[in-house]
Amino acid sequence: MAVDRLERLTNLVAFLLHGSGPVRLADIVDQVPGYPPGADARRQAFERDKRLLRDERIPIIEESGGYRIAPEDYYLAPLQLDEGERRALRVAVAAVSVSRGAGWAGLAKLGGAHGAGASSPPLGVRAELVDLPALPILHSAVRTRTTVTFVYGGQERCVDPHGLLFRWGHWYVVGHDRLREAQRTFRVDRLEGAVAVGPPAAFEHPEGFDVATALPREPWMVGGDEVVVATVKVDSLLAGRVCGELGAEAEAERRGDGSVVVHIPVTNPQVFRSWVLDLLDHAEVLAPADLRAEVVAWLRAMDP
Amino acid sequence: MSASNAGGGRPAGRHGARLSRLLAMVPWLLEEGGASVVDIANRFGVNEDDVVRDLELVGLCGVPPYGGGDLVDVWVDESGYVHAYPGPYFNRPTKLTPAEGFAVLAAGRALLRVAGSDHQGYLASALAKLETALGQSSLEVDLVIPVHLGDVQAAVDDRARLEVRYYSAWRDELTERRLDPHAVHSVDGQWYLEAYCHRAEGMRRFRVDRLESLVRTGEQFDPQTAALPAEVFGSGPETRPVVLIGPASARRAFEVAPAARVDELPDGRLRATIPVAGTAFLERLLLRLGPGVEVVEPRDVVAVGSQVAKRILARYA
Repeated sequence: MAVDRLERLTNLVAFLLHGSGPVRLADIVDQVPGYPPGADARRQAFERDKRLLRDERIPIIEESGGYRIAPEDYYLAPLQLDEGERRALRVAVAAVSVSRGAGWAGLAKLGGAHGAGASSPPLGVRAELVDLPALPILHSAVRTRTTVTFVYGGQERCVDPHGLLFRWGHWYVVGHDRLREAQRTFRVDRLEGAVAVGPPAAFEHPEGFDVATALPREPWMVGGDEVVVATVKVDSLLAGRVCGELGAEAEAERRGDGSVVVHIPVTNPQVFRSWVLDLLDHAEVLAPADLRAEVVAWLRAMDP
Repeated sequence: MSASNAGGGRPAGRHGARLSRLLAMVPWLLEEGGASVVDIANRFGVNEDDVVRDLELVGLCGVPPYGGGDLVDVWVDESGYVHAYPGPYFNRPTKLTPAEGFAVLAAGRALLRVAGSDHQGYLASALAKLETALGQSSLEVDLVIPVHLGDVQAAVDDRARLEVRYYSAWRDELTERRLDPHAVHSVDGQWYLEAYCHRAEGMRRFRVDRLESLVRTGEQFDPQTAALPAEVFGSGPETRPVVLIGPASARRAFEVAPAARVDELPDGRLRATIPVAGTAFLERLLLRLGPGVEVVEPRDVVAVGSQVAKRILARYA
């Protein structure tokens, strides 16, 4: 009876994974059942199998004229997930779509989860995050401490990546820029061309690094050094939305007409100006005087 | 999700997908010691016949000389139960690819941000274990949670009709509407409510962060009565193209506008064509772009920039 190709492939993986060292092609096709007769046909069939295993990301190593799969490359470190944890991961993968299919395939490798066939998440939450080809490469580089090089703003960058962050609708990679010798943040969708990776374990992450605090929560705190506290009056029409955005701690005063006065720390006056003007004529910068003057100058130039 | 997803978005052939699925199923089975075919099918998103076919086959696999002790010890009995006995092969989960590891971790990190999504702590502990196995990585997904998200979500779950006050950015006005909330979802960090609007008499999409207030009317609506939009990005406000001219330095500012088309003029300046929905949208765009940019078409909106500047300046007089 002919051997099913899947059976041959499974045997091939077991054989390469549990041998004592590299196995030569002649021994593989001889010992693993299901390879056709004839030297050329056998070699071609093996090449097809090898390609399929590599497509499935099964790491075949070629060395000393033979082939093997290193158990440390193939097996995941012991995880010991319990059923509650598996279910939680399934809920997450069902609710948040990052990369179509990859989440489900990863989940299967972790032991699947009850109800993996269902299309709707048990929670009503559903979120989509933009997927970019560079993201798994950068994430893997953070995990393995691998230096990456890419072009950004027309210039070559060589970066030790410390973390990845999704904020304000975009993915950012934060790391040490080797040429500029300083921490820098890059928007991943603005990386130009491919990301090149170096050898692993090339650097250490800073002690206690937390990517969530590496980039300020508010865009007008990005860039610039000196912090000024802006005082802004917001009319009742947009008061609720602005207080929801800034948090309760920003609210300094609520007036009888429903308007609010908020205090906002700012380091980047340009970004702050754009944010205030997005509120149209429902907001006014009260202080400090030079920030107010900057808004006025911008508007005067628009209405000469 | 169907079994075809097991390929992970790669051009996996039939055998490749089956092999990957099998190599994922077996370690779990060996750890469990057995499971019903129904449970396995459900857990891995595969139909039952495929489970039986593939597992019967794997029971014949192992290493040469393929004697009893060298085979993967898995067999399916007549009642549809799969027996599995631990052995030396495929007894641990396989490594995740970078794309798989990233997708699972990012999804988990994102969901952790949503209040009430992990009250038993399973997600946090699963992510901690996964990060230890994959290598520590600082990965955060900052899904900003609007003030009313929890109430909106609860109303969707309870099919509760709502009275809301909603700020329409296109028209720059607060509107009062009666809504039947059907679904809440987030796209690239922004939360949206899909609801039947009784005022517009149709399905509409609302930004959750622009809901000023909401109260339940006490009525429950029938989710079958309103047809959901055919696609997620259904009806938005109507737009018309506005042509702007600005300096070369305005390129990025032009390009961030949705669906903008930017051309370079012979003198080096840029000409941008941007679909605009409503005067308030154009006002915000021009305020962001600033003094160096002028509107050239259509004629009736060329003065919008100076008009809005004048209107705001009146506050600063």
